[in-house]
Amino acid sequence: MTSKRHSSFCGSAEHSLDRRAFLGSGMQGSALLGAGAWGLNALRQPALAEVLKQKEKRVILLWLAGGASQLETWDPKPGRPTGGPYRAIQTSVPGVQISELMPKMAGRLKDTAIIRSLNTKDGSHGTGARLMHLGRRDEPNLKYPDLGAVLARELGRADSPVPDYVSFYTATEGRGNAVGQSGFLGARYAPMSLTTENKPLFLSRQENISIQDHQQRAQLQALFNERFARKRNLPAVASHQEAYARVRGLMASETLFDLEQESQKTRDRYGKTLFGQQALVARRLIEAGTPFVKVSRAWWDSHGQNFETHLELVTELDHVMSTLLDDLEERGLLENTLVLTLAEFGRTPTINGSLGRDHFGQAWSVSLSGCGIQGGSVYGKTDQDGQTVADGEVGAGEVFATIYQALGIDHQKDYHVGARPIPLTDPGIEPVSEVLA
Amino acid sequence: MISRIITIGLALTTLGAFTASGQDVSLQPPEQAIADVVDFYLERSLGEINQEASGTATDATLLRRTTLDLVGRIPTVREAQSYRSDTAPDKRVKMVERLLTSPGYLQHQVYELAQLLHPDDSKHLQNYLTHAVNNDASWDRIFRDLMLPPAKPEEAPEADRFIKSRIQDIDKLANDTSVLFFGVNISCAKCHDHPLVEQWKQSHFFGMKSFFSRTFANGDFLSERDYGAVQFQTTEGETKTAQLMFLSGKVVEEPAWKEPNDEEKKKLKQQLEELKKKKQPTPAPSFSRRNKLVEVALSTQEQDFFARNIVNRLWYRVFGHGLVMPLDQLHEGNPASHPELLQWLARDMVTHNYDLKRLLRGLVLSKAYARQSHWDQDSRPNPEWFAVANTKPLSRYQYGHSLQMASTSPDEFSLDDENQLRERLQRVYSQNGLAEQLDQPIHDFQVSSNEALLFSNSDRINEALLADRNKSLIGKLKSLENDPQRVELAYWTILSRPPNDDEIKLLTTYLAARQERPLDGIQQLVWILLTSTEFRFNH
Amino acid sequence: MAADPHKLKISKQINRPGILMSIARLPDSHRLFVGSSDGKIYDLDIMAEKPEPREFVGHESYVTGLVHLESQLVSAAYDRRLIWWDRESGKQVRTIEAHQRWIRQLITTPDQQQVITVADDMVCRIWDVKTGKLVRELRGHQEETPHHFPSMLYACAVSSDGKYLATGDRVGHVVVWDLATGKELTTLETPIMYTWDPKARIHSIGGIRSLAFSADSTRLAVGGTGKINNIDHLEALARVEVFDWQKQERTHEFKGNEHKGLVEHLVFHPENQWLLAAGGDHNGFIKFLDLEKKNVLKQAKAPMHVHEFTVNETYDTIYAAGHGKLVAWTLTD
Repeated sequence: MTSKRHSSFCGSAEHSLDRRAFLGSGMQGSALLGAGAWGLNALRQPALAEVLKQKEKRVILLWLAGGASQLETWDPKPGRPTGGPYRAIQTSVPGVQISELMPKMAGRLKDTAIIRSLNTKDGSHGTGARLMHLGRRDEPNLKYPDLGAVLARELGRADSPVPDYVSFYTATEGRGNAVGQSGFLGARYAPMSLTTENKPLFLSRQENISIQDHQQRAQLQALFNERFARKRNLPAVASHQEAYARVRGLMASETLFDLEQESQKTRDRYGKTLFGQQALVARRLIEAGTPFVKVSRAWWDSHGQNFETHLELVTELDHVMSTLLDDLEERGLLENTLVLTLAEFGRTPTINGSLGRDHFGQAWSVSLSGCGIQGGSVYGKTDQDGQTVADGEVGAGEVFATIYQALGIDHQKDYHVGARPIPLTDPGIEPVSEVLA
Repeated sequence: MISRIITIGLALTTLGAFTASGQDVSLQPPEQAIADVVDFYLERSLGEINQEASGTATDATLLRRTTLDLVGRIPTVREAQSYRSDTAPDKRVKMVERLLTSPGYLQHQVYELAQLLHPDDSKHLQNYLTHAVNNDASWDRIFRDLMLPPAKPEEAPEADRFIKSRIQDIDKLANDTSVLFFGVNISCAKCHDHPLVEQWKQSHFFGMKSFFSRTFANGDFLSERDYGAVQFQTTEGETKTAQLMFLSGKVVEEPAWKEPNDEEKKKLKQQLEELKKKKQPTPAPSFSRRNKLVEVALSTQEQDFFARNIVNRLWYRVFGHGLVMPLDQLHEGNPASHPELLQWLARDMVTHNYDLKRLLRGLVLSKAYARQSHWDQDSRPNPEWFAVANTKPLSRYQYGHSLQMASTSPDEFSLDDENQLRERLQRVYSQNGLAEQLDQPIHDFQVSSNEALLFSNSDRINEALLADRNKSLIGKLKSLENDPQRVELAYWTILSRPPNDDEIKLLTTYLAARQERPLDGIQQLVWILLTSTEFRFNH
Repeated sequence: MAADPHKLKISKQINRPGILMSIARLPDSHRLFVGSSDGKIYDLDIMAEKPEPREFVGHESYVTGLVHLESQLVSAAYDRRLIWWDRESGKQVRTIEAHQRWIRQLITTPDQQQVITVADDMVCRIWDVKTGKLVRELRGHQEETPHHFPSMLYACAVSSDGKYLATGDRVGHVVVWDLATGKELTTLETPIMYTWDPKARIHSIGGIRSLAFSADSTRLAVGGTGKINNIDHLEALARVEVFDWQKQERTHEFKGNEHKGLVEHLVFHPENQWLLAAGGDHNGFIKFLDLEKKNVLKQAKAPMHVHEFTVNETYDTIYAAGHGKLVAWTLTD
């Protein structure tokens, strides 16, 4: 870390780079979009959209909250002073080794690509997480939609009977950093956020009201709400009716969250840990048509006892991820499902006195599996100790461009906020074609 | 475009006023009423950018808004109807005074400050704040109590909780104090000089931390050492010892100290252990860094941070958007939208001994406060011009208490006996079961689908709000003669206004379709209004 | 010149790159063998003006266990191997793939006929020193923690009469064995040393890291750390519990009052004058505990997190290996 000025934020996500950035008067997030978010995107090509939807692409994001160590997962440096005690093992791809803590994934790299050369320059949980949720930084007067919101928009259906964007984050640590953000797309694309429960509460209609009344009452409420919001074009206000508009669809999706619907065999396969169970729910959701599910596994921030913590967590990740990929493949879903492992940053190659590793955004790894991915590919290199990127440096933008391309979405397509075109990724950003099929 | 540049230019030239305290000749005179000063500066800016303001809000809207802002609940039907029909020219002033002198003001103030000072668990400081607010404590008194809890707990019960709950993490203690009392979040200056704000360097962060670094908990008691300094590593790898430094950069003198040797430390440790066992407080240090912080922060030269912060926060509470945004970024690189106004209000706050009620009174009596929240033209103006009133999501307590009131029969609050009425309202404030199920809005609030599902399907909510009991609104509505009466009373009770013709038509049609099962109809009518956006927001 | 913990002072300190995980000593000398995170064993005289270490190269990961026997060294590492070395030539005499997972500790029986290893396959193995043959396997620890994660078997100790063996694991479970027969004699629990966080971070930290029998074999000291609130850090005080193991009774609880982290190694004074504990978190500590008075006789900061130490024949010099340093303390003037 340097003390020089740099363009990334630090600390509170609310830090303002330039309050008076001229974006035109009255621009506040989705204020100009009107009550419904469907007025967006005049440039979007309907034909392409149809094609995408027909193919039913899905994404499961395994969010490794707190920052998993790349050295104990995808980019080991055995024998180096920074390598730690674990070895590297051969994978099913000649010449590619990963940590010995991931033997199951080692045998399954045929569908997975690894990017080892990520440099996000940010060692802060809050801003690092925001960057890796949005693929870029927010501007002071413009809040971007996160990956889930964009994909809910791109891949979801207007009248969908299932939620578009579901997010699991059960652990209490770091939850605030990973909050879903629909930004200028509006509350319609905010996630169904599951924290203390594995399924949303209050999905069933009370017995003392009929289905018809439940719906008609909601319809009249919506009418009044829309009138109220009409001349108060503000995101918070709009979000209220948006939330109620989703109730019916959400209620219909109740059984998706019920693991009793799966065979004991399947449940045993995913294992007894919470992460495993939630990954299984994620599979159910995307199988039913939910375009984006985030399953957060917190909390990887091993400042002390990094190797013990990673023994636990990487063993679990290896098991859950490989089970998920196998399950998706067996069900014929892997071809259209993209599974990602992302985090806010990696961990320092230098090992501290508590045998821990600290925050490190300068040279770390992410993985992409399934839909649109060139399985077995590894892009980028770090130096022999993992301290810097040696080759193929990319940032969050490139990772996101790659994700969009893998799903057949043009990463340069524009959304519009008012008259201002906003491409999905910043101009000049290119996907990492080497990991794309 | 050009007028905006001019405005910014003006703002920049008054930046000088930011760090200099006290005298600034170009400000409105101090004797002016707060409301007038607010309107003066806001209207001047609007004039400069040629921005129209929205019209004045209706009586019903203004009463509801003021009641929510000052006492944290919706008006009773009686309050709403009598305000609307009152023709006295000074009715607004009287209404504000009535609210400010009611027990509800105190109760709401407790909730607001508790939320501010301990957002993770607002019950945490309630005992102290109840005591402080009921004893009319000024803001600087509260600051003092929390930073330097008096030895006699009766003087400030549980005031030590602010520090105690953060004692395990001195960095957090320093930063929270800085954010909540000075409007400055310096946490990123911990690892390196702030990348964007020239003003904040590592020495600022560690300088502030130094005020707290000698504080620790000895059993149940807060304690402070005579010795010790914070060391930090610069990004160049240099180790430095932090000086006591306030946010302005002012280095604070302190008496020389010596690190005790191992023997002395052992003795001190033993003494502390003894006191801990006996559950006794530790002796005060010969020099208290925390005491020094309070002294410096409230001194004439440095009080700008303290005064501006509380002004900005109260402004935010009432207007829904601060004069400086975000609230924790009061620094040179982030000027106020109306710097002179902020400066004037800060000066007024200091002159009047941090009397929060005075500022609130002034703000809610301004014309700007009474503007409509709806905007009939195309692009809604940027909130920093205060040309249109903001909508503010109700806090969880406002929402919870208002839901309770709105689902209660208005007869319960239509009492002639003042004491009885007060008691009944007090009961509403003390029931927080509902409030605790609700989200506490943060800035950039978005209603979650969880909330919508809760209200749509939760049996507890149903039970609390829609049960047919004789003291509930449902019960009262049942007893009325016809549907138009029901709709009328429902609107007054829940939305604090009369329904318009269209609303009456839609709802009586709805009820008519359920005339074989009138209770269902009534419950659904009440549900529609209770869960409406109009109810959920302060507008 | 009686050895007195109150006279504790550092007599020599050497910086070394890497993390020194294990230590052994040539009797009656200052010649030390230290196992490093780079997989090498370094042979050096700590008191030399400019120690010039000799290297034993062969392991591929952290050398976590080292014993000196006659003219040989035996070492154990994360690479799952046990290696016998000729001390003077540095040649590998024997290499055994000793465990399925990472070896955490290696000790020798008092008669030096056997060496004993514990590893994360949760098995304790007893090996014949001369032949390298596996004498016995002891399985008394669960492979998974109660929370369905892989467990670790960190510590073992043998009583000075050679009769008893103790093993201790991640979740605070201790087994005391009859060494000759491999029979389980008793079990003890130190659950405080294992922190499982179900709420904030949903994983665990801690574990029993060290064990030692008293000279008369009746007491067993267990070293670890206290309950941790934020399991990202070793933020709890270093902790020692002592048991009258035959009665399954805890006789001492040293909760700690100053130093944080793990107790990585424990050694009893042969005449019970003290119990010596060392370890650390980011920093290090060394503590002398008085079992009679149930208090701390002497404690001090160590220059580094100590991973293992060894005491000389007269119990007046302590040689410690740890994070980036090698240190010798004396207890005499």
